[in-house]
Amino acid sequence: MMQRFPALAGFILFAAVMLIAIPLLLAGQGYWLTVLTTAALLAFGSIGVWLTFAIGRINIAQGAFALIGGYVVAILCTRYHTSFWIALPLSVLAAMLVATLVGWPILRLRGVYFAMITLSLTEVASLAFLNGGSFTEGASGITSIPRPALLSSSLAIYIASALLLLIGIVVAWRFAVSPAGAVFRSLRQGEELAASLGINIARYRLLAFIASSGMGGAAGAMFAAFQQNIFPTSYTVNDSVNFMLYCFLGGLQSVAGPVVGAFLLVIAFQLLSAIQRFQALLYGIFMIAAMLFLPNGLMSLPQLLLARRDRRADAVPPR
Amino acid sequence: MKTPALKRRHLLAAAGGAAVAAAGLARPAIAAMKTFRVGVLGVMSGPDAAWGLHNKYCAIATANMYNEAGGFPIGDDKYGIDVVAMDDQLDPKIAVAAAEKLTQEDGLRYVIGPNVDTTALSIKPVMERNKAIYIPYAFNKTLYTPPAENAILGMIASYEAGPIIYKYLMQTKGIKTIAFLAANQPDPLNQQQAGVAAAEKLGLDVLVKDATYQASATDFFPIVSPIVKKKPDLIVFSGVAPATAPLLIKSARELGYQGLLSTETAQDIKILNEGAGKYAEGFISVGGASTPEIRSAYMEDFVKAYTKAAGQWDDEAGTKVYALEMILHTIAKAGPQAIGDSSVYKAAIGSFAMPNPFLKSASTLRYVGDAYFGQKRQIGVPMVVNEVKDGSFETLFVGSVA
Amino acid sequence: MAQILIDGCVLAASYALIALGITLIFSIMRLLNFAHGELFMIGAFMVYYVYGAWHLPFAVGLLVAALVPALIGAGFEKFLFRRVMRIATREENTMLLAVGTAILLDNVALFLFGEEQHGVPETISGVLQIEGGFLPYQRLLVVVMSLVLIALLLLFVQYSRPGRAMRALAQDRDAALLMGVDVDRTSMLGFAIGAGLAGLAGGLLVTIQGVNAGIGVDISIKAFIMIMIGGAGVVSGALLGALVLGFAESVGYALLPGSETYLLIFVALVLFLIVRPQGIMGHPWG
Repeated sequence: MMQRFPALAGFILFAAVMLIAIPLLLAGQGYWLTVLTTAALLAFGSIGVWLTFAIGRINIAQGAFALIGGYVVAILCTRYHTSFWIALPLSVLAAMLVATLVGWPILRLRGVYFAMITLSLTEVASLAFLNGGSFTEGASGITSIPRPALLSSSLAIYIASALLLLIGIVVAWRFAVSPAGAVFRSLRQGEELAASLGINIARYRLLAFIASSGMGGAAGAMFAAFQQNIFPTSYTVNDSVNFMLYCFLGGLQSVAGPVVGAFLLVIAFQLLSAIQRFQALLYGIFMIAAMLFLPNGLMSLPQLLLARRDRRADAVPPR
Repeated sequence: MKTPALKRRHLLAAAGGAAVAAAGLARPAIAAMKTFRVGVLGVMSGPDAAWGLHNKYCAIATANMYNEAGGFPIGDDKYGIDVVAMDDQLDPKIAVAAAEKLTQEDGLRYVIGPNVDTTALSIKPVMERNKAIYIPYAFNKTLYTPPAENAILGMIASYEAGPIIYKYLMQTKGIKTIAFLAANQPDPLNQQQAGVAAAEKLGLDVLVKDATYQASATDFFPIVSPIVKKKPDLIVFSGVAPATAPLLIKSARELGYQGLLSTETAQDIKILNEGAGKYAEGFISVGGASTPEIRSAYMEDFVKAYTKAAGQWDDEAGTKVYALEMILHTIAKAGPQAIGDSSVYKAAIGSFAMPNPFLKSASTLRYVGDAYFGQKRQIGVPMVVNEVKDGSFETLFVGSVA
Repeated sequence: MAQILIDGCVLAASYALIALGITLIFSIMRLLNFAHGELFMIGAFMVYYVYGAWHLPFAVGLLVAALVPALIGAGFEKFLFRRVMRIATREENTMLLAVGTAILLDNVALFLFGEEQHGVPETISGVLQIEGGFLPYQRLLVVVMSLVLIALLLLFVQYSRPGRAMRALAQDRDAALLMGVDVDRTSMLGFAIGAGLAGLAGGLLVTIQGVNAGIGVDISIKAFIMIMIGGAGVVSGALLGALVLGFAESVGYALLPGSETYLLIFVALVLFLIVRPQGIMGHPWG
């Protein structure tokens, strides 16, 4: 993977935009801060899904973990008056715990089968919280979650979300270039081969899945604090599919993919709201066009264009 | 005269868009006519698109009617009305962003919608913080009870209509047993619980209290047959969507059910007839001002304006005709200051009254809700209870909420 | 009791057409057709317009209900999937494209048809009573027609030349190529037939369920459940999956009044898939 544009420079630029430029430019604009907060948190969740893609699994369960994270925060902060800053790590732990229990048996499946099971998991989570009786308050959901200390303004929430995203990018990135990341890549290319080399593939797969779910849980926890409510329908199959789509659209080669995908689609959708009537239709068309012409994601665009330029430059006249 | 909706919708897609644009341009070229902008936030795409779209078209119809007449008078000026519609796709995240846009970026202080508890509750912090008034069609009481003060319920809540309907049926049809069926979604489930509580309080024997179906269900035979087997006098379809009602009715009747069927949400006669045919006879629902025998000439004009904007009339929209009228008239009473300051609006709520323009017989529109919310935070729309007779709605009775 | 059996049979028969269609596509192209529910919905709308609104014979409506989705399916295969399957580097890309087609059809349908629920008049009225259970003649008709169509499809796949080509393609793509099967045309035909089956199912079921532009997603999910249970890519699996789901729903709702039924169905499904991911009849497929 030859990057013409040094990845580190790209990251620093992104961080500068997120943490300096945007707060300066958009300080009073609640609307755009909300949009960018949503994009940042969804991007964070998508990075998790990207991690499972890295081991060759199509993960349509992220919505379930977002629900778990959100409910943990909701229940702890409303019923037990816990501080959000304690509830947040607890929600991540809860998501990871469930991921361990559930992931262990299902990760040996692959392809469509794994995808379908994870899709079912999202439904199970939603239905379970719906039928949770007085513990989860069922269909009415949990509302009036207090805003966390230190996060009372839209700007503060945005900065917290942006920080979370940047941390997530760094962690995923370091991971990808670490020995464990190399193992992941080998898993994607050939599990049998990796196993024959003595690598405990089950452990690595589980690791990726747990990390992914932890990120989903954190995203859900942040959303719950940000929106101050959670319902069993807060995350549906649609949302799980969206996490997956953001990864795809951006491209699966690097961690920048899901981030680009999430920001692009969230912002595009908002911009389209001006033409409300055609919003969803254009969105669908845009998706298909992206699939057709850039099936490897938007991040492959620079390489595609460069490759085309090089091909033209080196074009050998036909004999 | 049924023209295929396919061709019509294609044409009216353009016409609808043009109508919206025209609504914006329709203000007569009188120099310096001011504009009053009002937001509409609701679900406008996906399977429940009808709810948000009805809000939007009702607002546009009212706006067009006033704009074509030269504007709505507030203080000494006439105002052209501009409707800014946003789709929340039933997603709380999108609803919050849209609410921020409308109240912060666009600076609106009055928003009609959203349609359900999840989205309404999500935007509550935003609206309270930005001091903007919103008119949800969601029944969760925390929206309207102090310390919240900016939400005004735009329609009759099921927990208000239910007891009145059950009592009426006890007195006129002698029902003694009742069963409830709801979709597995927050709003219908809440309505089911409220309905059960109300029925028990009235002394009815509740045979089935927690039967539900997946919102995605398409075949209702297996869902309805256990209930029909118990032979209740009345089955209440709590919070049923207009799309599902005919299927439930047909299933119940095909399974041999002879008792009464009712709901506390607004329905659409066209959909009922198309889906249930003759089985829809006798179905009881809560309606708006659209039953022919009670509607005024103004309502007829409104229906025409609505049809022009939306392409066709929907009875469910009949419950949503009041929102923009109430906003405009309350602002007119409170004074032009209220356009930018909701506290002026709120101060005028207590004593506000206007004649109901949509009903033939004289009645007054006020803000109500003290009994339920401890403050007047509900548009006192008349509670019109309909029954299906020979393929159209007939008014069973008209009640009101305290 | 009788009612539970009747309901189970009706559900199973209607679901079977849906399951067969998606299985056919999966077996030939190894592709999970996310847009299957949307094709079902389009078929239903075709019958609504042709039979319900324009008052042409029901049979004509059914024909259109099969043809239009079939054409869309063929178009998808030829212009979208064929291209992406060639240039994509990962197998997930085709799945993503499938998701994209579903989103596209959903939104196009909403745009063209509007958001309202629609129904059609009955083709037969009246209710048959058997042993205390009620079976409307319309439902009986749907069951009979479904069975006829299933039989026709099975005969086609078993004995006709294109049918044999499809089976060959499903069994071993490379071998089929070597044997001279026109992969492109066969794939297109397979997709078209699968889509047509979805459309036919929609067209038949609109007489008892009506249609609105939003039912696509839920029908797709049901289709997935069925092939997960029965086994993707195997005809007997599809039929089994339809039977199991149909009866699970009918028995479940009779015993448990509501939301727990589907929770149990999904939990049972997940547990079952952990033990036997290929479904009851499926071949292990990584």
